[in-house]
Amino acid sequence: MQNKMIGYVMILAVLLFGGLSTAQAAKAPNPEAAKVERMIADADKARKRAASVEGEWRDVGKMLKKAKAALAKGDYKTAKKLAAKAKSQSEMGYIQAVAQKDLKMPSYLKY
Amino acid sequence: MTISTKLLGMASAGVLLAGQLALVPVASASDPSMVEEGKALAFTRKKGNCLACHIMAGGKAAGNIAPPLGAMQSRYKSKAELKAQIADATVKNPETSMPPFGRHKILSDAEIDKVVEFVWSL
Amino acid sequence: MKHLLKKIAMLAVAGGIAASAQASPEADREAFQNFYKNRFASVPMEEYPNGVYSIDPVGRENWEAIEEFPPYETFIDDGQEMWEKPFANGKTYKDCFADGPAIAGIYPLWDKKNGMVMTLPLALNKCREANGEKPLKYKKGAINAITSYIAFASRGQKTNVIIPKDDPRALEAYEKGKKFYYTRRGQLNFSCANCHLQNAGMKIRSEVLGPALGHTTHFPIYRSKWGGMGTLHRRVTGCNKQVRAKPFKAQGEQYRNLEYFLTYMSNGLELNGPGARK
Repeated sequence: MQNKMIGYVMILAVLLFGGLSTAQAAKAPNPEAAKVERMIADADKARKRAASVEGEWRDVGKMLKKAKAALAKGDYKTAKKLAAKAKSQSEMGYIQAVAQKDLKMPSYLKY
Repeated sequence: MTISTKLLGMASAGVLLAGQLALVPVASASDPSMVEEGKALAFTRKKGNCLACHIMAGGKAAGNIAPPLGAMQSRYKSKAELKAQIADATVKNPETSMPPFGRHKILSDAEIDKVVEFVWSL
Repeated sequence: MKHLLKKIAMLAVAGGIAASAQASPEADREAFQNFYKNRFASVPMEEYPNGVYSIDPVGRENWEAIEEFPPYETFIDDGQEMWEKPFANGKTYKDCFADGPAIAGIYPLWDKKNGMVMTLPLALNKCREANGEKPLKYKKGAINAITSYIAFASRGQKTNVIIPKDDPRALEAYEKGKKFYYTRRGQLNFSCANCHLQNAGMKIRSEVLGPALGHTTHFPIYRSKWGGMGTLHRRVTGCNKQVRAKPFKAQGEQYRNLEYFLTYMSNGLELNGPGARK
């Protein structure tokens, strides 16, 4: 009876701890890294949105590449800064393109 | 930033608070170090690159697309008005060629303040 | 549903373009050419194929000196060799272009079958691929040799872009190119027109901005800044980068349509490629 109890407890313990540790591994080693990863993904979404209206700016792709490299090295501060800048530039590029969706001929051209 | 400019900033902030206009940047007397920093920003190709289009005192190989910069204090009522023009010239003239330095974050707000100090001194 | 909304939005955009572009291509061209006639009253129309050197006497002297020993000469020779050398299957470019090599004057043209603007570099690669050869790259390299040879053989032909009336897609492509030309892009917020129309003849730093009229007559060009030759689409890539916009693909739809519009603006001007530029 007692032996059985010990056995159950042990199985339970293995399940609990094993479960916990795998959950932790799946969650990525560092919540900060996951956050930065989301920021980069967000910025890339914004980049694609700008590109869909032909409004992507020159350096956004480069910024995202650098952000990913910084993230891989654990330099979260740099990665965050770059991701934020890439997102902001993508949004500005999108607004710029959409604001000009109707062609307006310049006034200095005389018809 | 040196301690003295920090102190100056704090002092001017106090003046501004007293004068209610919390949005107007810095005090009206130009800070010489800010003017110098503004000049560097205005002349550098990767930053303001104002010389690409504007002739101004002290600048070499300037372009002539836009009006020469001089007598600025008679052309603009205030630094705030000048800053608005640098931040987004398309507000006043939608067909302007001037890049919107503030709206497109070509320069940071702090950098534009410095450029304003320099241009205001011309 | 989302897809449908997107389509409706796109249609609305297209409708907007059509509505604001009431002017016919001919009226566009006239207004475009008149702009330069007014600004540079003393410059005869025939001068514009010389690009910025039609309006910049200082730069012109230097350019004329360069043209005495043209840096693109070896490319013409290499291009002739390419033109004459049979492909692996025994055929040559001549089998694709019976009127060649003097064929630059018909490009860019509307390709009704494929519903797209056909440019000379694209047509050359189609020929290569049809004959089992690898396509050439569209910005640098051998494409500039073969097009140099063709441009040289075509000197004296007149720009004569045709927008056929029997296919509304041709006008649509032209309108898209026109829209591209007048749209501000990049962090610096410049359109092509800002520099080469609005401010043509003015100086950016110490460089004189060249007129857009005649921009398409002399490609490919040897550019001192590159230390080599480049296509029109290579040059446009550089323009887009300079205003801090992400450039589009060379020979992609955007640049092809742009070329269609821009070349149409120069209708009537003589072809004088290849060229040499700073």
